[in-house]
Order: sequence, then C-alpha cells, then structure tokens
Amino acid sequence: MILDLILPRKSKYYVAAFALFGTLASLAPLVIQWATYSDPIYTFGNSFVVDKFSIILKGLFIIITYLTFLLSINFIESDKFYQGEYYYLLLSSLLGALVVSSSRDLLTIFIGIELASTPMFLLSGWKKGDRKSNEGAIKFFLLGVLSASLILYGFSLIYGLTGQLVFADISAYLLANSLGSSPVLLLSSILVISGIGFKISVVPFHSWAPDTYEGAPLPITAYLSVSSKATGFVALIVLLTKVFESSGQSWGVILAIVAGATMTLGNLVALQQTNPVRLLAYSSISQAGFIIAPLAVSGITGNYQDGIFASVTYLIIYAFMNMGAFLSVHLFTNFTNTDNFYEWGGIAKHSPLTGVLTTIFFFSLAGIPPLGGWFAKFVVFRSLLSTGEIVGISLAIIGAINAVIALVYYARISKVVWMDELKNPEEEKTFEFQNPLKVVGAFTVLITFVAGIFPGIFSYLGEVSSIFFGN
Amino acid sequence: MDLLSNGTGLTAVVFLPLISALILTAIPKSQEFLIKGFALVSSIVTFFISALLLPQFDFSNADKLQLGNKISWIKSINSNYEIGIDGISLPLLILSTFITVLAIIYSIEHLPEPKSPKGFLSLILVLETGMNGTFVALDLILFFVFFEIVLLPMYFMIGIWGDKTVRTVAGLKNQIETRLYASIKFFVFTLFGSAFMLLGFLGLYYRGGRTFSIPELIELGTNGAFTGTFAMLVFAVLFLGFAVKVPMWPLHTWLPDAHTAAPTVGSVLLAAILLKLGSYGFVRIAIPILPEQAKAWAPAIAILSAIGIIYGSLACLAQTDLKRLIAFSSVGHMGFVMLGIASLTPIGINAAMIGMVAHGVITGLLFFLSGSMAHTYHTRDMGRLGGNMKLLPKTGALLGFTAMASLGLPGLAGFWGEFMALLGAFNPLDGLNLTVFRGSMIAGAIGTVLTAGYLLWMLQRVNLGEPSEEWNEMELHDADGYELAAWIPLVILTILIGVFPKLIFGATNDAVVSLLSKAFGG
Repeated sequence: MILDLILPRKSKYYVAAFALFGTLASLAPLVIQWATYSDPIYTFGNSFVVDKFSIILKGLFIIITYLTFLLSINFIESDKFYQGEYYYLLLSSLLGALVVSSSRDLLTIFIGIELASTPMFLLSGWKKGDRKSNEGAIKFFLLGVLSASLILYGFSLIYGLTGQLVFADISAYLLANSLGSSPVLLLSSILVISGIGFKISVVPFHSWAPDTYEGAPLPITAYLSVSSKATGFVALIVLLTKVFESSGQSWGVILAIVAGATMTLGNLVALQQTNPVRLLAYSSISQAGFIIAPLAVSGITGNYQDGIFASVTYLIIYAFMNMGAFLSVHLFTNFTNTDNFYEWGGIAKHSPLTGVLTTIFFFSLAGIPPLGGWFAKFVVFRSLLSTGEIVGISLAIIGAINAVIALVYYARISKVVWMDELKNPEEEKTFEFQNPLKVVGAFTVLITFVAGIFPGIFSYLGEVSSIFFGN
Repeated sequence: MDLLSNGTGLTAVVFLPLISALILTAIPKSQEFLIKGFALVSSIVTFFISALLLPQFDFSNADKLQLGNKISWIKSINSNYEIGIDGISLPLLILSTFITVLAIIYSIEHLPEPKSPKGFLSLILVLETGMNGTFVALDLILFFVFFEIVLLPMYFMIGIWGDKTVRTVAGLKNQIETRLYASIKFFVFTLFGSAFMLLGFLGLYYRGGRTFSIPELIELGTNGAFTGTFAMLVFAVLFLGFAVKVPMWPLHTWLPDAHTAAPTVGSVLLAAILLKLGSYGFVRIAIPILPEQAKAWAPAIAILSAIGIIYGSLACLAQTDLKRLIAFSSVGHMGFVMLGIASLTPIGINAAMIGMVAHGVITGLLFFLSGSMAHTYHTRDMGRLGGNMKLLPKTGALLGFTAMASLGLPGLAGFWGEFMALLGAFNPLDGLNLTVFRGSMIAGAIGTVLTAGYLLWMLQRVNLGEPSEEWNEMELHDADGYELAAWIPLVILTILIGVFPKLIFGATNDAVVSLLSKAFGG
C-alpha cells in the first residue's frame, strides 16, 4: 500500500526517462488503492493513513510533478545542467508532498513539509550565474528556515500541552480535558498558520514569492506555485481540522482576515506588474486567498465538509490551469527573449496556438465560464455562503470584487498578445513548441475544459475527499 | 419529428454552433470559401432546427415549459442540465438563431479588418451558443454559465476587429484605441454585475432547500419562501447583474462605447440579442422568484427606466457620430422595455416582450446600415454625411424606413412595444404607486417625442440635403447582394410584427399572464 512512496525513490538513476516513467508508474498503486478502497487504513501506529483524501491529493502531486518534468526536459538539456540532481531533488520534494497528505502525526507531517520544501531551496537557485536567481533562492531559504522553526515551535507547544504526537490522540486529549479554548493552543495555531503561511505565500508572509518565482527556472516556478503551495495547503487543512479543530472559532477569524487580505493585496499588486512571472506570482498569491477562505469559514461554523470540498476542488482545478498559464508564459518568454509582456504585442500571429492557450488559461484563472476556473470560484462562493454567517458573506463579497479586479490583469495579457500591433511584422522567426510541452499543453487544456463543462467529475473528487473531515 | 421533443432539439440549437466553431478552427486558414460556407450552413441548420421546434411547440399551453429535459449535471451541488422553453423564451430563441444567420451572411463579404474569417466566424458561433443557451436554461447555474459565455467572444470581437481610432479617456494619461478601451470596459462592467448575481443565486439555493432549478424556485417563491431582508438583498444583486446587461441608467455607460467600437456584426448581435439577456433575466428569474421584492422595487425600476428614456433621447440629440446615436437610442428603447416590465401587468410585460423582439430587429438593422455606411464613407460623422439618398439610394431608403420603425410609427414593429409599455405604466399592478408610474408614463411619452425628434434630425442630416463635395471623387458602392440578403428579412419582419403583433403575443401572452397570476395572485 505504500508502494507509491517507494517507487519514485528508485529513479535516482539520473535519467529523465526513468524519472518520467517512475512518476507515472507510481500512479498505478494509487489506482489500485482507489479501486480496492473500503475504509481508511492506518499504519505506523496511526501516524500514517491511506484514505480517499490522501489518495486524491497524491494523484494530484504525482501528475503535477510529471508535468513539471515534461516542462523541464528541454530546459535542462539545453543548458547542460546536472540532470540527475535536478530530477532527484524534484522527486524528493514529491516524496515530501506525498508524506504530508498521508501523515497523521506531528513529526511525520513536519518531516513531510520540510522534505517537500528543502529541495526547492536548491532548485530555485539553479541558474547559478544569475543574480536574480541567487537573490530569490537566498530569500526563499532564509524565510523557509524561519517558517520551519515557527511550525516546529507551534508543534512543541502542542506537545507540551498534551504530551501526544498523533493527531487523533491530541484531539481526544484536548476534548477530554476541555482545553479547546486554551491560549496555548491558540498561540500554537497562530504559529502554525504563520509557518505554513510562508509556504503558501499568504499575506503578510508573501514577500519572498515574487522574487523567488522570478529568479527560479520556469518549470521550478510552476512547481513552486502549484505543487509546493498545494503541499502547504494540505498540511494546513490536515493540521487545522485534525489538531486545532476545537479552537476553530479563533483561528477561523484569523484565517478569514488573512484570506481577505491575501486576495485583495495580491490582486492590487498584480495589476501593476509588467513581468509575466511576477504577475503570475501575485495572481497565485491572490488565488491562495480564495483557497483558504472556505477553510477559514468552516473553522468558524464547524461545517468542515463544505469548506474542504471547496478548498480541495479549487486546489485541483487551480493546479492545472496555473500550470498551463506558466507553460504559455514559458513559450512566449523563450520566443521573445523579453520578460516584459507589454513587448509581446501581437505575437499570437506567430503562434496562434500558443495565443489560444494563453487566452484559455488566463481567462480560466479569471473564472470565466466555460473554463474550469469558474467552477473553482463557484464552489468557494458556495461554501462561503453556506451558513449565512457574516464572515462568510463578507469574504464572498470581497471575493466577488476581487474576481472583477483580477479580470483586468488577466485580460491584459490576452489583449497584448492578440490586439496590440506586432512590433516587427517582417521578422521571420520560427516558433518553438517542443513535443513534451505540447503534452503539457494538451493535458492542462483538457482538464481546464472538462472542469468547466463537466465539473461534476472534479466536484466528485472534492466531495469524497471532504467526507473524511465530517464530524 | 419526435426526435426533437425531449430536449434533443433544444440541445442541438444550443450546442451545434459551439461544435461548428470547434470544427471551424480545424479547417486550414487558406480554405476561406470552406470556412465561410461551413459557418453559414451551420448557422442556417441551427435556425432550421429552431424553426422546426415551432410545430412541436404547443401554443395552447404556451405558459408551460416545453420540449425540455432534465439531466443530472453537477451532482454534488444538485445542479442539473435543465432546459425548456415557454412562450416567453420561444420568440427570443428564434430571434437569436435568425439574427445569427443574417450576421454570418453579412460577414461573408464584409469582414472587418484584420480579416481572419476563421476567428471571426467561430467567435460568432460561440456567441450564439451562449445566447441560445441563456434562453433555454432552466437551472440557475446553467443560466449563469451561458450568460457568461457570451463575454469572451464579444470581448475579442470588439478588441480585435473594433474601431482603431485613438481617443482620450477621462482619467487616463495616455490616449488609447477605442476598441481596447471599449472591450475591457464592456467585460469589467458585465462581470461586475454577474459576479454579484452569482452570490444572489447561491442565496436562493440555500434558502430554497439546495436547488438551482428555476421552476422549483418559482414554485417556492410564489408561495412566499423568500422574504424580508434576505429577499431584498438577493433582488438587489440580481438587479445589478441584469440591469448592467440591459443596460439601465446609470449602469449604461459601457454600452455607447462598446457599440461604437464594435465591428458592424458585433454591434448588431450586441443590440439585437445580448441586451435582451438582461431583460429576459428579469422576466424569467427575478420577478417570478421574488414577486414581493419585484413589487417593492418596481417604482424604482420605473423611475430609472423613465430617466433612461429621457436621458437616452437627449444624449442622442447631442451626438455627431451616427453609430453612437443609435447606441444611445438603445438605452432609450430598453428603457421602454424595462418600464413595461416594471408595471408588472400583462400589458406591460407583453409590451416588453414585443419591444425586445422589435428592438432586436430594428436596431439590429440600424446597426447593419450604419456599419455599412461607415465602411463606405470611412466616417460616421453626421456633419460630413448628407445627401445619402442620392449617393446610396438603397441604403438611404432602408435607413429611412428603419428610422421610422424605430421611432414607433404605427404599423411597424416598434410601435407596439412603446405604446403598450406606456399603457402598462398608466395602469400598473394594484398597489403600486400610481403617481410614480403615471409620472414615468408622461416621461416616456415625452421620450417618444424626443425619439422622433432625434431620428428625424438624424435622417435630415444623413439622408437629405446635397452630398458634400468630398464624396464627388470617391467611388461609393451601394448595398450589394449579401447586404440586401441580410437586411431584407429584417425589413419584412418589421412590417410583419407591426401588422400582426399576434405573431409575438400569440406565444407570449399566456405565459405572461400565468407568470403574473402565479406571482401576484388573481
């Protein structure tokens, strides 16, 4: 049952093909697990679990890593970098993410979180000669270490309070001794939210993200903004609902404020960006606000199912459309050799296909039907309004306004690409669209459309994964 | 023909254009003839299917939703693919498929710059899917999705093929091309309205026992399930969503920009169909589901409509740009439609229904004509035009005819909507403030005079008089076959509806009466 953890490790054989194959092969045990699934299975003394929530998220992590590999192949080969290390580090990060989604005790989840993020410190500084890359990596590293220590400090408080490590034991202990409103627990939850807040780059812990994103190689940026973030979210969901459940009222409010601020600030700053990667960085900050908003409200109302349903559905759809957005930025940046997208005027004429892809992904991020993003936004609004609670309604209104603001900058890219004049119309240049990238494009477009037109499939995944958090 | 009855026909009408658009993108660019032919055929087939629905439609039960189906769509939130039509949506659906055919006929020879027929025609077809879908959707989420699908194609139509004139915009430092400004303004305004509308839908969903089905919600609503502050807030956001689209004063400012900037076909579709999505939303969703609130809001809607009528006409009198004038006239005409709706009487809402169709036909034609003239003369400035009757006799004659129809000449389609809307406002639903409505009626009546005023003035400036000397050297082409093929059907329709308004009322009346009696009793 834990074969999926072992397989990726095998692919240390420094070969792209093997890494790809290994990642794909590790999906197989997941499928088997899904097919033969009956009840959650706990191992290692209740600290490791296989339930539908973890299976779905593992599937997501593996697919995203696979797409990242595909994005990377040409980049890595063209620059003669250390291929083996690159794949190895990414796979280690994947392993961390997989551990997080299954872990149900404090130590395991901490190891998982760190295993997922430590390789990223190295990968984000991969472009050694590049000053921006180094700057980004250093920022990321310092803040990463800080966040790890915050998380660890938070954990130690819980351990001090309860003397337990396994989530189930902790909440049982808290319940038995009615420590739900204990200030220590609250402090600990704040520390954990802050620590993980760095990982998922929510306001006010977001400042590293744009610099790191800009400096890192683009496939790594895509991975950071999708998979790394998702790992953080999963950790946050698991911790808040399984450990801090009893103090939901308090962290719910804190998280709601964070969510509102994250959506708004991310959007407003994104409006002024000229670099597409920084724009996506801020956009993904804003999207993070949408993902944690339902979680915040579910903490206040205690209705975890609706909240987690929304967060997980959003996360899955967001992962693919964002991956696609990075792909199109990658293509255009390579083609034009400039990272100011205002210089991209009319380049859709060189490659209408990429133009269409860009349009699809960016408008999907903006949440325009029939593209997948609308459904993600919709389930979030749905869960925010589910109880008619004032915090939820306020967040929904903030979210609705933000959805409109976001449209302005998402549409701007399409505007430049399609509507502006071509700068050098005579220039003959071949547009490179390598095959592995085509696979990524096809796959993400497919998911974006399917999620928009038949959202039932994705909401089903969100729904089954939320059932395990019902009371 | 049983094949069409259980929802298949409607589904085909909705999705055939979308599928055709996808196929269109697969045809290589060089095959221009094939691209145009395919788009035309697919739009005609779509229209044909929608026309085949007519004999299937049971007019003696026009108040019932027919030819529909309900299939599970998004199970976990209980949203279904629920479709169907009644007497209210039927005329609009046919109008939509019909106008699309004309739009494509016109585009065959008159593609705006930059050409690219493939992109342009597939956008029209995607647009058609959104429009048709909105008219048949009976599930709030489905409705929302279709309502929004129209945004993307229209955005690109305006942004890529729109007016390239550079203009200054208050509040912006740099000058900007009209098309770029107009396209994003259109998008942001509409999205702003509909984002809040979605929140309102969700509110209804939770209060209504987790259902998005419009018939079920109407059932609940007429039994008084939604009351108090909650209902007030929901109506407010629905109002916002629909009123932006109509557009009602003071949310109309995107419309003159969008219309002026859009390519001819874009303006036609925008005026003929897209604006109706808003007023249709009021009749289909807001009023029947929240009747109490509709009653409470009716005076406000009436006042805003009256302001819209007067404001639209006055703005028209100040225009020098032909297309902008027609755009502002839309604000006025949609004001009549909304005034009719606000009266909440069978006469008023029937007036709104026929007004919607008539405005679609007449203003659609006006935009065709003005677009074609702008193309011929390379200017829309009415100060430079003049003597059009002598230069382009066919176009000029049609313009004269259409302007007469637009100002509400009895015997033509425009008359019924204006006249009956005023009649409805004279005698609104019991319990509504008579002073407000009669005041609005008087304002509306003044509006009809002003409308006649600006249209006749427009005719005088454009059609009559001696042609200016600058046209002497130019070779001007009068309407060609493709243009006439697109325009003549609209002329015929204008006369037919004018002479036999029963064409529309026959379908709408029962549905309107039953809607109102359910909502307000009696």
